Amino acid sequence: MSGEEEGKTPRSSKLGMAKCLMNCEVAVILEHKYEQLQQMSDDPLNQVSQVFEKSLQYVKRFSRYKNPDAVRQVREILSRYQLAEFELCVLGNLCPETVEEAIAMVPSIKTKGRAHDDEAIEKMLNDLSLIKKFE
Amino acid sequence: MNFWLFLSLIAEMWKTEMFLKVQLPWNVIIPAECLDAKGLMLQRSIIIRLLDAFSNKKATQELGYFLAVTTLENIGEGKVRQHSGDVLFPVVFSCVTFKLFRGEILDGVVHKVLKHGVILRCGPVENIYLSCQKMPDYRYVPGENPVFLNEKLSKIEKDVVVRFIVMGTKWLEAEREFQALVSLEGDYLGPLSD
Repeated sequence: MSGEEEGKTPRSSKLGMAKCLMNCEVAVILEHKYEQLQQMSDDPLNQVSQVFEKSLQYVKRFSRYKNPDAVRQVREILSRYQLAEFELCVLGNLCPETVEEAIAMVPSIKTKGRAHDDEAIEKMLNDLSLIKKFE
Repeated sequence: MNFWLFLSLIAEMWKTEMFLKVQLPWNVIIPAECLDAKGLMLQRSIIIRLLDAFSNKKATQELGYFLAVTTLENIGEGKVRQHSGDVLFPVVFSCVTFKLFRGEILDGVVHKVLKHGVILRCGPVENIYLSCQKMPDYRYVPGENPVFLNEKLSKIEKDVVVRFIVMGTKWLEAEREFQALVSLEGDYLGPLSD
């Protein structure tokens, strides 16, 4: 496959756009889809593929934020920190508790030339945990 | 008249990890006999065929697993296909897909414990292999419910959630699915209390 090695670590795309979704965002989307199907059919489970069902189960289980407003807030807050899309999503998914853990999960936030010092990262993590508290 | 669906997939992929929101152009073919239908019926017919094909496609190497269509952006003008009389409608829609990338850290669930490692599941991916060589300090404990145990008595057994890093992925064309090799080598990786 030209231009992309199988499984290579993601970089920002050729198009300059990256649209990545966190588990909690996908949960909102898939649950909504499932509800639509429930309204249209007596047997919604039969209408969805295995891929859909397994993915829905997964994102419901591994979403740190359940409330759609909280989910929006998480995206909004993380967007203020000049993160690449995938960095934003890994942080939103794994919710590291310390700066050290955040850097371990997303090493690229600490690479040379990035504006993220420990203080900024700590503030970001605090903001995220506040959303969780008031969810 | 031929009653078949032709799909041409040209993906503009935004390369990131895990769940991708992708905008795709696809071609949906409507056989000539369905074209008598009025506007809305025709549109419905196009959408149904699209959703069906989308679901059946399951996954591609470039985009990963196809989860759901989110928005129908545009249905273009139909073009008559000369030999069959069917009409091809170019459709652009947005959808969500799932793909694993090397270097990514995420959570999965242990499905099976074997002597040399464990099989994990993560979303639609069912074939994730964590070798015992990539589980530093864990040793295999056989039994009716085999587990991997470390000195601190941290347990890796069936249904446990494990945080891992992806070492590599492989696309299996025949099965239309991905496999992955993962590791626990790194800080903050390993079993989690759910």
